[in-house]
Amino acid sequence: MTAGVATSRSGRWAGPNGFARLVHAEWTKFRTVRGWVIGTVVAALLPVLVAVLAGVSSDQRGSQTVPVGPGGEPVTDSFYFVHRPLAGDGGMTVSVSALSSSIPSGPADLEPGTVPWAKAGLVIKQSTRQGSPYAAIMVTGGHGIRMQNDYVDDTAGPPGPASAATVRRLRLDRSGDAITGYASADGTHWTKVGTVHTSGLGPAVQGGLFVASPPAVDGRGTRGSVSTAVLGDLRGQGNWAGGDWTGTQVGPESPTFAGYPRNTSGSFTGAAGRLTVTGAGDMAPAVRETLPTGGTLGDLLTGTFAALIVVVVVGTLFIATEYRENLIRVTLAAAPARSRVLLAKAAVLGGVTFVAGLAGAAVAVPLGERLARSHGVYVFPVTASAELRVEFGMAALLATASVLALSVGTLFRHSAGAVTTVTVAVVLPYVLIANPFMPASVANWLARVTPVAAFAVQQTLVRYHQVTSNYTPYDGYYPLAPWAGFTVLAGYAVAGLATAALLLRRRDA
Amino acid sequence: MGRSRVASTATGPEPGAAYNRRHESISNSRLTAVSAPGIVVAGLHKRYGATLALDGMSFSVRPGVVTGFVGPNGAGKSTTMRVILGLDAVAEGTALIEGKPYRSLRHPLNHVGSLLDASALHPGRSGRNHLLWLAHSQGLAARRVDQVLERTGLAPAARRKAGGYSLGMRQRLGIAAALLGDPPVVMLDEPFNGMDPDGIIWMRGFLRSLAAEGRAVLVSSHLMSEVQDTADHLVVVGRGRAVADAGVAELIAAVSGNRVNLRTTAGTAATRVLTQAGATVTRAGGRDTLVVSGLPADRIVTLLGESAVPFSEVSAHRAGLEEVYLELTRDAVEFRAMTPTEAAR
Amino acid sequence: MRQALRAEWTKTRTVSGPLWLLLGTVALTVALSACACSVVSCGSAGCGDMTRLSLVGVQLGQAPVVVLAVLVVAGEYGTGMIRTTLTAMPRRATVLAVKAVTLTGIVAAAGTVAVLGSLASGRLLLPGRAFMAAPGHPPLSPTEGPTLRAALGSVLYLTLIALLSLGVATVVRDSAAGIGIVLGLLYLLPVVSATIGDPHWQRLLQRIGPMDAGLAVQATTDIHSLPIGPWPGLGVTAGWATAALLTGGLTLRIRDT
Repeated sequence: MTAGVATSRSGRWAGPNGFARLVHAEWTKFRTVRGWVIGTVVAALLPVLVAVLAGVSSDQRGSQTVPVGPGGEPVTDSFYFVHRPLAGDGGMTVSVSALSSSIPSGPADLEPGTVPWAKAGLVIKQSTRQGSPYAAIMVTGGHGIRMQNDYVDDTAGPPGPASAATVRRLRLDRSGDAITGYASADGTHWTKVGTVHTSGLGPAVQGGLFVASPPAVDGRGTRGSVSTAVLGDLRGQGNWAGGDWTGTQVGPESPTFAGYPRNTSGSFTGAAGRLTVTGAGDMAPAVRETLPTGGTLGDLLTGTFAALIVVVVVGTLFIATEYRENLIRVTLAAAPARSRVLLAKAAVLGGVTFVAGLAGAAVAVPLGERLARSHGVYVFPVTASAELRVEFGMAALLATASVLALSVGTLFRHSAGAVTTVTVAVVLPYVLIANPFMPASVANWLARVTPVAAFAVQQTLVRYHQVTSNYTPYDGYYPLAPWAGFTVLAGYAVAGLATAALLLRRRDA
Repeated sequence: MGRSRVASTATGPEPGAAYNRRHESISNSRLTAVSAPGIVVAGLHKRYGATLALDGMSFSVRPGVVTGFVGPNGAGKSTTMRVILGLDAVAEGTALIEGKPYRSLRHPLNHVGSLLDASALHPGRSGRNHLLWLAHSQGLAARRVDQVLERTGLAPAARRKAGGYSLGMRQRLGIAAALLGDPPVVMLDEPFNGMDPDGIIWMRGFLRSLAAEGRAVLVSSHLMSEVQDTADHLVVVGRGRAVADAGVAELIAAVSGNRVNLRTTAGTAATRVLTQAGATVTRAGGRDTLVVSGLPADRIVTLLGESAVPFSEVSAHRAGLEEVYLELTRDAVEFRAMTPTEAAR
Repeated sequence: MRQALRAEWTKTRTVSGPLWLLLGTVALTVALSACACSVVSCGSAGCGDMTRLSLVGVQLGQAPVVVLAVLVVAGEYGTGMIRTTLTAMPRRATVLAVKAVTLTGIVAAAGTVAVLGSLASGRLLLPGRAFMAAPGHPPLSPTEGPTLRAALGSVLYLTLIALLSLGVATVVRDSAAGIGIVLGLLYLLPVVSATIGDPHWQRLLQRIGPMDAGLAVQATTDIHSLPIGPWPGLGVTAGWATAALLTGGLTLRIRDT
C-alpha cells in the first residue's frame, strides 16, 4: 500500500459528517435485514434464558448455611481448637516442635505428605461460632511462621518449618482490639511478626491452640488431609478462666469443610507441658474448590457463550453477504474510502451488539442471582462495581467478538470459512477451558493468549495466596485481570480490523 | 388470448440458411421418432404470498423450431421454467416433458437440457469437471463432455477454474451442460444476457442449428429484439399467463391487420381520395408515409391512378415485433406501473 | 443411484476444499490429542481414562467435518448450483442420499486416520507421563476390547456429526447459519449443562446432547458412572443425525428451489 493509493481512495472528502453518513448507511443496511436483527435480539435473550435456566434448575434449599467472615466473604472456619475463655487483655506462648501431615492414598490408607498450609499455633477468637473474628499466629507446613486474622489477612513471619531440632516458639498478646504476634527460636529473643486490629472480639474471647489442615491439591482435584502438631510450654498471661482445656471441632458440618479422612478425627492428648493436637480443615477464605456448591456471576452468564456464536455468525454475514451478492461493489462505489467503510461497519455492528449485550446482561445478572438465591444457591458475593463491570464486560466482549468476526469475514470474503475460524478461535478455547479434565497449565495458557481471555471480565472470585487450590478458568479464576483479559480479545479485533482494512484497500473488490 | 388467434396468410420470414444445415447427431433417429410435443405446459397457477406469479400459464413447445418465450420482467418466465424443471411446485396445472413430469425422468438431461443461471457454478471447479459430474449423474462417458466442450468452443478453457470465466464463457459452459445428454428439448433462460455482439451472433446461429437438428428449443428473453431474428414461434407472457402463442408471421399479421403502407409526396391529396373511398388513413413513420387500412393494395393503386395522385410505393404494412410485444404486454406493463409495490412483493 | 453416487464423487474430488478440510480434521484431531497427552498431569489416583484422553482431539477435529458437511449442500445453495444438481437428478431423496453416502465414506476414511493417529500419539506420549506404571494399565492398543470400541465409536461419531450437519444445512440452506447452528449444538450443550444446578437435569442434558452423549463411546473405564452408556450414547447422536436428515429430506422435497 502506498500513500498515493490511500489518498486517492480517501479522496477529497473527510470530516465527521462524511463518517456519520457512512455509519447511517451501514445502520440502515443492518436494520433492514430481518435475520440480523433477529440474531441480535436472540443474542441478547440467550444469556437471560441461560441465567433463568441455571437459576431455576438448582435446588439447594435446606442445605447448610455458608459461613461468612467479618468482611462478608464466604469462609472456611473448621479446625480443631483447644481452648479456654480469656476475659479482657492477656496473652499466651507455646512451642511447636512438630507439625506433620497425612494424605489418604487409598480408601483406608494414609500416607505422610506435605500440606504447605497446614497450620498449628495460637488463636484468639471471638467464639467457636463459624465466621467469628479472630487473630492467630502459627507454624505452617511450608510457609514458615504466619500471622493471620479475620480469614483474609496474612502476614509472613520468620521462614522455616518446625521440628524437634528447630523448635518454634509463638506468642500472641491481646490489648483491646490490637493483637500482636511474636515468634522466637529460643524463647528469650522475640521477633514481632505483626499487630492486627480485630474489631468485634468483645470483652471475653476464646483463646488457645489450634491445628488446621486444608485439602491437599492432587492432580486436578484435592484430597482432604489431616495434620498433627506437637506443642509444649503453653503459658498464659492475664485473666484466663480456670479448669481444663476444652477440645472443640469448630464447624464440623459445613459446606466449606469436606471432613476428616476416613478413620481419623480431631483430638488432643497430653497436658499443658506437652500436647499432641490433631486437626483438619482451615481458617481461611473459601475458594471455589472448598465451596463447590457456590455459584458465580460467571456461571449465571454462561449464556454469553451461546450469544457469542450468534454474534459471530451475524458479524460475519454482515460483510460476507456483501461479497456473495457482489453488493460490496455497490458499497465501495458509493463510498470509495474503504477503510472508513469498514470502520463504519465495525461501529454499527459493535454498537448494536454492545447495546444488545448490555441489555441482556442487565437483565440476566440480577434475575439469575435472584432466582438462584431463591432456590437456596449461595452466590459468591460481589461489589456493586464488580457487578457493573461484569455486565459491561459481557457487552464489550460480545461487541468486540462481533468486530473480530467482521474483520475475519472481510479477510475471507466467505461466510463459511470465517464463521468456522472465529467460532473455533473463540469458542473452542472456551470449551477446552470449561473442561474439568484440562490441565491447569494448559487452561491458563489458553486463557492468556486466545480470545477466550476476555471471559476474565466475568470473574468475580478472588485468588488467595494463603489458600492452595486449583485456580483454573474452569473454576472461575482467570490468569489475567478482568480488563487485561478483555484487552487480549480487543487486540485480536484491532489487529484483525487493521489487516482487513489493509487488504480491503489493496484488493480488487 | 383472442388476439393471437387471428388468421393470417402472410408469409413469415425466410428460414435462415442454418435451418437447412443438418448436424450430425447420434440421436437424430430417436429425435424424429418423438411425436409428443417437447414441452406441454397446461394451466399453471402459483402464488408467492400475495403476488400471483403464474395465472393459468399454458403453451407448448414443438420440435424443430425455436420458440421465443418473451415478456416483461416478472411476467413469470423464469418461474415457468423452474416449474418445468421440477424445481418449483405449482398449486395447479401440469408441465410435461415428452408426456412425463420432470421429476419422474430417470436421466433427465437426456430429455431436456437447460440453462437457468450461468453463474451457478462452484468457482473452484474447472469447467470440464463441472460437466464431468453432470455426465456421471446421467451415466454418460467423459468422451461426451469433450464433445460438448468442442461444440460450444470452450475446449481451450475447459481445464481452468470456472470462477475465472467471463460471463460469455459461463453462458457457453451452461449451454454445453444443456447439450450433455443430447436432449430433444433445450430450454435456455435469457441466454443473451451479458453477451457481446460476437456472442449474440454465435448464439443465434447455434439456436437455429439446434432447431434444425429437430430439437424443441425454448428461449426466454425480456427483449423482443433478441429473439425476433431467431425464433419461429413466440409465446408472449404477461401477468403470469401466455397472452399469445403463435408463429412469428401470424403475430405480425395480427397486429398489422390488412394495412398498407403508402409512400407519396402528395399526402393531403391521397388522404382525401382514399378517405372518400372509405379507407382510414394515418400518418406514420417517415415524413411521406401513410398507413391505409380498409382497402386492399390493388384498389389503392387504382384509385390513386384515377385521381392522378403521385406515389412511389405501395406495400403491405408489417408491424415490427417490438410493436407486437408492446401491444400484447401493455396490460401487464400498465398494471405494474400503477402499483409498483404490489409488483415488487 | 450408482450414477448419482459417481456424479457426487466426481463433484467432491474435483474441488480442493473437501480434501483440505479432511486433512484439517486429521491434523487437528491428532494435534489436540497429542497436546493433551503430553501436558496431562496425573494425581496419584491415576489419570482416569487414558483412551478417552488420547481421543480428546475428536472434539476439535469435528469442526472441519461440520464445515465440510455443511458446505456440501449449503455451498451449492450459495452458488445456485443446487438447481443444476436437482435438474440433473430430480429425485430429492437420491440427491440427499448420495451426498450422505459420499460424506460418510470420506469422513469415515479421514476419521479412521485421525483416530489411529490419536491413539498412536497416546501410546507414544502417555508412558512418559508415568501412567503406565499403575498396575492393570496395559499400553493403549486398538485391538483391545474397550479401546477398539472407543476407536470405532469415534470414527462413527465423526460420520454421524457429518450427517447431522448435512441435514441441518439442507434445512437452513446457508453455510454460515448451518455451521453456527451445528457448532452451537455441539459445543453449547455441554457448556450449558455444566451450569445446570439440578443433577437430574444436568444428567438429562448430558444424555441428550449430541456431543456429550456421542462421545460417551470413547469411555473405557468407569462406564457405569457415565450419564449414558457408550453405544446408547452413540445411538443418541445417530438419532440427531437421522432426525436432521429426515427433516432435510422433507424440506428438500416440498420446498421450491
